[in-house]
Amino acid sequence: MSYQIADEPHETTLAAYVVNPTAPLLAAMVAGSWLSWPWFAFNAIAMGSPTKNKELALVVAAFVSTGVLAAIVIALARAGILPPGIPTRLAILAIVAFKLTMTYYISSVQDRTFHVYQYYGGSVRKAGAVLSLGYWLKGIVIGLSDDPMWIIIVAGGI
Amino acid sequence: MEDRQIRVLLEQAEVQRRLSNHRGAIELVQKALALDPNHARAHAALAFSLLSARRLPGAGIEIRTALALDGNDGNIHYVAAAVMTAERKLDDAWAHVLIALDEDNADAATHVLGASIQVLRGDPARARELLHEALELEATHCGALTELARIELASGDRAGAEEHIEAALKSDPADHDAHVVAGYIDLAKGDDSAAEQHARFVLNHDATDEGGLRLFTAVKAKRSVLLGLWWRWNTFISMREQRRQIAVLIGTFVIVRVVIIVTDELGYEGIAKLLSYAWLGFCAYTWFAPELFRQWLKSELGTVKLDPDY
Repeated sequence: MSYQIADEPHETTLAAYVVNPTAPLLAAMVAGSWLSWPWFAFNAIAMGSPTKNKELALVVAAFVSTGVLAAIVIALARAGILPPGIPTRLAILAIVAFKLTMTYYISSVQDRTFHVYQYYGGSVRKAGAVLSLGYWLKGIVIGLSDDPMWIIIVAGGI
Repeated sequence: MEDRQIRVLLEQAEVQRRLSNHRGAIELVQKALALDPNHARAHAALAFSLLSARRLPGAGIEIRTALALDGNDGNIHYVAAAVMTAERKLDDAWAHVLIALDEDNADAATHVLGASIQVLRGDPARARELLHEALELEATHCGALTELARIELASGDRAGAEEHIEAALKSDPADHDAHVVAGYIDLAKGDDSAAEQHARFVLNHDATDEGGLRLFTAVKAKRSVLLGLWWRWNTFISMREQRRQIAVLIGTFVIVRVVIIVTDELGYEGIAKLLSYAWLGFCAYTWFAPELFRQWLKSELGTVKLDPDY
């Protein structure tokens, strides 16, 4: 019998699908949040992360907060308070910066568990195929709706 | 009987930790804690081993458990200060150093840790005072001499740094930290080869030594402009606490994007496009450089011969 350290990941049946958290981080830039954030959530579950609940809550918060920010910017633009041109583009930039901050933060939280996961010899899958697929599917996913709210939430970018 | 067993396990763990066998040390302390999950010193020993293995979140949880179980043990406060320094909670770390000194003012190592905290807080004068106090307690304390050399080097006094590091290496010719600082002094003098010898000495005895790896990388980065730029950027970023690192990255992104948007809206589309491509190039470079750097470092480390006893 041994003492369980709080930062140790638990064994899961999905361990074969664990990727380095830099993969979903890169996905946010080359594909968009539609791929990145759910991928972080899946990775947390697959890794058996002890901070799984925090990571899942962050993913939900990222989607919800982006939706709220997008709704505010769209409402201000439609009411004419936010004129087109520089003001609107800066407002959208603020949302993109918020999304990147959330992505980096989730990545940094997951990275701590990943470090311990690797320490105990956990397997890590290469993510190149998923990233490439995400890059090619990006246009289709964003084009599923022409609602600006949808585009702001699912798009990525650097 | 159980107490004796725990004491033996903790002693063995400390030996393993000093030999840089962090996993072995952690497993031994885990065994001790399986016998008594409320053993404060065992939680502190686990925190120290986790800290040595760079598992900071686990170390943070364990040291707080130790403090909750026994808030009057100077040794636990010393480990708490070390963990909180790594967490960059410098005020809390300093408070624990003061408690540890209150418990045992004759411990040079606590003075040295306090000095490190003062350096990070931007008070090298106070750090010097603490190090001189440590040297009054133990005139040849290698850690105190090494820290003094580090402070003098940072303040630009290379001669002073050399004097202290020579004394440190005389006190303990095998001390890894002293060799690392000696290597940085050589780097500052422009003697890459001597710096590399110090890095190789450290890595020869412990291939996982963080300071040795950093020095080795710094030497190699100095010789390559392409990867050296990334290394400098990476060092600039990683000096900060994690939240500040994210703030610097996002801040850089926002500044670049604002410039691009404003340039574009003012009718300079060509410049805006050029800036966008430059930014994309920078992003691609910072993405691929670490991988190239890792590959390069791996092949370089292959040339380091390990000590047969390692």
